[in-house]
Amino acid sequence: MAKFKMQTYQNLVKDSGGATKENLFCLLGKVQDKFGYVPKEVVRDLAAKTGVAEARIYGALTSYGHFKVKLEA
Amino acid sequence: MKEKKVLTGRVGKYKPLDLEAYKALGGLQALARALAMGPESVIEEIKRAGLSGRGGAGFPTALKWASAAKVQSASGGPKYFICNADEGELGTFKDKVLLDGDPWAVLEGIVIAAYAIGAEQAYIYIKGEYEETAKLWDKLADEAKKAGLLGEGVLGSKFSVSLNVVRGRGPYIAGEEFALIASLEARRPMSRLKPPYPTEEGLFGKPTVVNNVETIANVPVILAGGAEEYRKLGVKDDPGTRLFSLSGDVKKPGVYEIEMGSGTLQELISELGQGTRNGRPIKAVQPGGGTSAFLGRDSLGCKLTAKAISKAGSSIGTAGVIVYQEGKSAVDIVKGLLKFYGAESCGRCAPCRIGVVRMKEIVDTLSRREGSADDLMQLRQIGKVSVAMATCGMGQAFPLPVLSALELFPKDFETLIQKVP
Repeated sequence: MAKFKMQTYQNLVKDSGGATKENLFCLLGKVQDKFGYVPKEVVRDLAAKTGVAEARIYGALTSYGHFKVKLEA
Repeated sequence: MKEKKVLTGRVGKYKPLDLEAYKALGGLQALARALAMGPESVIEEIKRAGLSGRGGAGFPTALKWASAAKVQSASGGPKYFICNADEGELGTFKDKVLLDGDPWAVLEGIVIAAYAIGAEQAYIYIKGEYEETAKLWDKLADEAKKAGLLGEGVLGSKFSVSLNVVRGRGPYIAGEEFALIASLEARRPMSRLKPPYPTEEGLFGKPTVVNNVETIANVPVILAGGAEEYRKLGVKDDPGTRLFSLSGDVKKPGVYEIEMGSGTLQELISELGQGTRNGRPIKAVQPGGGTSAFLGRDSLGCKLTAKAISKAGSSIGTAGVIVYQEGKSAVDIVKGLLKFYGAESCGRCAPCRIGVVRMKEIVDTLSRREGSADDLMQLRQIGKVSVAMATCGMGQAFPLPVLSALELFPKDFETLIQKVP
């Protein structure tokens, strides 16, 4: 699992052809697989880029067993 | 009783990514034929073959396709096709065999289905636990693009389609079609009321068809050999074969492909499954996954068709046959099931959200020997309310094993009831 870096995340977004409502679920999945969790900064950035409210993304993330919002020791 | 390998015939015969080997085994003929005959004729052929969904509900596939194809995108808006590979039902593991063993056939089916309904974007939603399968499909999608099966102009035709491989992220309910759609939209996986059906308003509000993997694997078989040839398999109102996932207390669990109506439940368990694990008699069987009603020993002579199994009092569902041998209390069995469904209820509607928790509490009370006859009545009532009132298939089905256990094994429950002194 890679340590979270904003740059690595930005590259992930670029490789996926940008962040849109359509690929939001896949993108969150890629972030989870890469860093082992979905950091707050990512949720904020994706909310700004896709127009989906931060609370909605957070609400969705926490309802899936395989998504984590904090790095677990 | 013998297996009839129609869908699983190629499993293990070629390396999963080897397209040439798949072609040599007769692959891609169906797609070529479909592209030559046009979308309407493809749907007509599926209709004549009488294919019904293999994901649990058993809805006629051609009907679903036709209603999505009918919605002419007047606005020029997109349509979507989703292959549901989020196989979450308890005791069901048949789709994995096809996804790993004959992935090209599933892909061929996806392309044909997308072509028939006019979708340019297809998704395959793979259960998160099947990580190796998802990795294989990532590579498969790349290979297919290179070979001209996906992308602009499929096999030199005017039809274009792309495929997104999506990984599920855990929840059981995401296998339900509305919850799956919500999940792809990055929302909480929850079902909703219908209509509108997904074929009218599905993914991102556009017409969407969701089909199970096994359903899709049937499509190339039908188109390659023709509907009449397919009809020769199985019985009149239930043609074809089905993949039965046999598990529980049997000596040889596994996935067995069986021609519809060619044998009985008893034969499946005693011949292919080689009987119960300790040679004890069978106590009960769930023939259609964890949410199907129990069948007692007396009902095991029923034929393996959807009709015969529902006549016996259960349903064929996902064809996940779970066998329980004598020596287990029905109370313990339903306790385990309720624990699972309690954790997985999405919370969308009260009958399921509250009902499953209350039912579990009652069963827990009973197994602590603190229950009363009144509790049994409550258990029945709450279960019946959820069957009648819940929004989605899960809420309508999870009480069925409990209700049938109360019918079939009342003694198991009654012995735990405290006697009033």
